Amino acid sequence: MISASNISKTYRLGRVDVPVLRGASIEAGEGEWVAVLGASGSGKSTLLHLLGGLDRPDRGSGAIRFGDTELGSLGAAGLDRFRRTQVGFVFQFFHLLPELTVLENVLLGSMVGRGRLGFLRERAQLTKRAEGLIEVVGLSHRRGHRPAELSGGERQRVAIARALMNDPPVILADEPTGNLDQGTGAGVLDALSELRLATPDGSPRTMVMVTHDTRVAERADRVVTIADGVVQAGAGQPASR
Amino acid sequence: MYQALLTRRYLTRKIMPLLASAAVMLCVAMELITWSVMGGFLNQLIASGRSLIGDVEISRPQTGFAHYEELVAMLEADELIVAAAPTVDAYGLISLGEGRTSFCVIKGIDPESFDAVTGYRDSLYWKPLDEPLPKDDAGADPRLDPEARDLFAALQGFGETLEPPERDGLPEKPLTILGLEVFSKRGLRTPAGFVEADVLTQRELTVNVLPTDRSGGWLEPTARRFVIANEFASGVYEIDSRTLYVHIEELQDMLRMDEAEKVETGTAEIIYNDQGEPIGFGSPETVGVDPARATAVLVRGVDDADLNVLRERVASIYDEFSRKHDGVPPVDFINVLTWEDRNATLIGAIKKETALVLFIFGIISLTSVFLVLAIFWSMVSERTKDVGILRAIGASRMGVAWLWIRYGLAIGAVGTTLGIGLAYLVITNINAIHDWLGTALGISIWDPAVYYFTTIPEDFDATKVVIVAAAGVLSCAIGAVVPAARAARMDPVKALRFE
Repeated sequence: MISASNISKTYRLGRVDVPVLRGASIEAGEGEWVAVLGASGSGKSTLLHLLGGLDRPDRGSGAIRFGDTELGSLGAAGLDRFRRTQVGFVFQFFHLLPELTVLENVLLGSMVGRGRLGFLRERAQLTKRAEGLIEVVGLSHRRGHRPAELSGGERQRVAIARALMNDPPVILADEPTGNLDQGTGAGVLDALSELRLATPDGSPRTMVMVTHDTRVAERADRVVTIADGVVQAGAGQPASR
Repeated sequence: MYQALLTRRYLTRKIMPLLASAAVMLCVAMELITWSVMGGFLNQLIASGRSLIGDVEISRPQTGFAHYEELVAMLEADELIVAAAPTVDAYGLISLGEGRTSFCVIKGIDPESFDAVTGYRDSLYWKPLDEPLPKDDAGADPRLDPEARDLFAALQGFGETLEPPERDGLPEKPLTILGLEVFSKRGLRTPAGFVEADVLTQRELTVNVLPTDRSGGWLEPTARRFVIANEFASGVYEIDSRTLYVHIEELQDMLRMDEAEKVETGTAEIIYNDQGEPIGFGSPETVGVDPARATAVLVRGVDDADLNVLRERVASIYDEFSRKHDGVPPVDFINVLTWEDRNATLIGAIKKETALVLFIFGIISLTSVFLVLAIFWSMVSERTKDVGILRAIGASRMGVAWLWIRYGLAIGAVGTTLGIGLAYLVITNINAIHDWLGTALGISIWDPAVYYFTTIPEDFDATKVVIVAAAGVLSCAIGAVVPAARAARMDPVKALRFE
């Protein structure tokens, strides 16, 4: 479904080049939930950003493929479309827009890429879908609230609903429980699991989740570890519960 | 679509965009007020010409020209011309007594024809009023007084005809109409614009003029007592403070420009007494009539006449007229000018001054561009994470840039709308505001002695509003371009990690 093979990524800090990924490879099959386990600074978030087309790997360092498409061959507009339609990001710090209500934050994903007329034409249908997602994450009573009025767990549920608004086949979750206590984090994982399965044909979405928490990783179909920018175990291996 | 939603939310939930809108509002209002007042001043100056000299003036100062009645008839026969009026203009010293003297333009007019060209009768000040002036809430204008109605009606009548009343079958002293500001009304003018008391009419004044001969040499000064029959207010301070009207025949007589017999010098016979001693001279031999002269003929054209075409037509008629009479100067020796021609230097200077002031204020208004730029730069920094989020959910660089430019346009639109409203309020109440400043704070910005008109003119029109509004909105969009480009170029990964 989505894979990265032998990719490197180097960031420049002042005059120093800092290699973050050094030939990392990973593959997530269709409907598979892969957990990337690693310590802070191991390069797991960078790997997720590259998989989601938010960033590009170093030139000539390898390839990222989504189905038959190599992301490196896409131009800026192609990558924007890829992020808009094929992946849904869930971040550790939720990243909701503070001025918008819960409903508007969830709808935001459907507004991007649609003109005013296009959105207004489908507004009723899109609003219904957003309200459905909000209901699934248990926040129907909070739909008119702003993020500042929500708890951490509630904010992350809103972020999950937003990520799934455009019904993407791939979810990329970056430490989705990293900023939550254990109980709340478990609830968020439950919501994520439920929505991963909420597809028109019932087949699960592919999910790559990076975490440093082994208990969270254990819920995945397969776990790979990453250290010093290299995926060290489990890459491309069959699922291991 | 998300740009519209975010623009709305960013606008209403932060103080900084409101401050930027306020800055734009002030810049737009400043530009509009300046332009409207300067434009109004220019328009009023140009329009005032019609109430002073009509559309075109044929003039030959000092010596004037004869047979003007025939010229008036020829002009009035033309289809482009509605009326023509002869006038005699001279400088003179007037004295009210008690040491109150003033140097004035003495204008000899024929009230009937002068009114047909300039609407002079409308400018007479002392006449009964039925309605108070707009700002005269207390109805304190003496012209409203029902008991003084007959008096003011009589003054109006005298002003309209300049015919003195008769006493014992003989006319009283000749009448004059004084410019309202010739003798200062300081302290008598109310904020509503009327004069509190009629202190000058029916008083006498002395008019001194200096006649000249045909070669321009001075003759003996002439002085004559006139009764002030009324005052006039043209609204142009320069005119109202330096002009008085008398009947054209009186001034012709004083300046020796009236009709006279032409005699043959050396033909007067010596008269002797019975003793054969010479005791004087008899009348010289009359050889003709020296016709009366006027120094100007004012012309009013039909309402939609092109003034340049009218001027050419008037010059052509004068040319034809001058060819008929010996002694009448040819067209090249007289002035045929419109009001704008006559005041070309002043009007040109005001046009340039208006452009210069607008240019300077335009540069000052660039502050709004930099203000929007600075505020947006700061807001983009503050909203770095928002940019990262939008990019993560698939927003394009152009989409993000458009969000900020749209935001700039929105701030421009809000500021401009408020600015137009503020400018409208100020402009439509500018004289009241000015009066209030004078009363409450002792500040008098508009001195009619400097600016010609006794009230501040204004010309608030749609064209100016559209131009200033477009400039205001565009300035904000320009100010937003650089921060928008910065937002669009942001690395989404760094933006998401921004703290």
